[in-house]
Amino acid sequence: MTRSPNRLLATIFGAVYLLIGVLGFTVTANTGFFSTQGGLLLGIFEVNIFHNVAHLLIGAALLIAGLSSVRAAKTVNTVVGAAYLLLGIVGLFITGTDFNILALNVPDHVLHFGSAVILLGVGLGADKSTRAAVA
Amino acid sequence: MSQITRGWLAFAAIGAGVIHLALVINAPLPLAVVLGLLGIAEFGWGVMVLSRDRVVVPRLARAGAIVPMIAWSLMVVTATVLGAPFLASIFNFVPMAVASLFELFIAGYLSVQLRRDPQVDGGKTPKRAPAAGLYLIGMFAGALLVAALTTPALAYTQAGIDNPHAGHGGAGTTEETDYNFDLSGHAGH
Repeated sequence: MTRSPNRLLATIFGAVYLLIGVLGFTVTANTGFFSTQGGLLLGIFEVNIFHNVAHLLIGAALLIAGLSSVRAAKTVNTVVGAAYLLLGIVGLFITGTDFNILALNVPDHVLHFGSAVILLGVGLGADKSTRAAVA
Repeated sequence: MSQITRGWLAFAAIGAGVIHLALVINAPLPLAVVLGLLGIAEFGWGVMVLSRDRVVVPRLARAGAIVPMIAWSLMVVTATVLGAPFLASIFNFVPMAVASLFELFIAGYLSVQLRRDPQVDGGKTPKRAPAAGLYLIGMFAGALLVAALTTPALAYTQAGIDNPHAGHGGAGTTEETDYNFDLSGHAGH
């Protein structure tokens, strides 16, 4: 696994997002599932329960793919990266509106853009010669 | 060119592309068309550099990075010389400056590479891939920098200015710390 950047990234990001998802529930006790005003995780990132669930699902998908195969990790990294890029852009338009069902704030946008760029970059750029291999 | 450096070039192009696409929203129609095409080209070039193991059309990419910078600089200089601030205020300074920073990096790096090797890396003799850990650290650093520069730049585009942003009071969970940009004083730029 340590030879494949995609598997390594998917495993690390998967574990981190799962941890963020779990920790998120410690600050969302008083918020609704789709509340536009969430709690501040680590005092910075605004999350609500839906946001936590999304983190858990994304973390699980990345972790499973990272532990499975290079092809799975590459695919999930690219798909999640593209989804985060879309969320990063759309998030700028919906923050402060009733459509902000993920309770996004600016640090969230930075995190989503950063995640998008690295997941897309590694998903598209690494492990080309071993696409189908199980490292 | 190393795989990490190619990744950074692609990240810079994607960052510049996203910013230029966001600037389309408030631009006059002819400029919106130009910005839209430029943004799509930059974004597409970045994705192509990532998905192929080489820098595609390096000379065209260098020109494509330099021309928008020069055009914007000329616009700002003309506005200053003629005392016509409306010319300079067509585009917000922050997003254009950040996009120009990305373009400067692309143009500068490609210029150095083209001087060393007219084909850049051409995909003919790709360098050995770096170790996975080193590659990820390099990519992570580039992604963090691009995200940290792109997000505030996007917040200064019309997309960021149009919405009032959450976090000003509310449910009581985010009252103490407001991490949303307050751009009320910048809307006129």
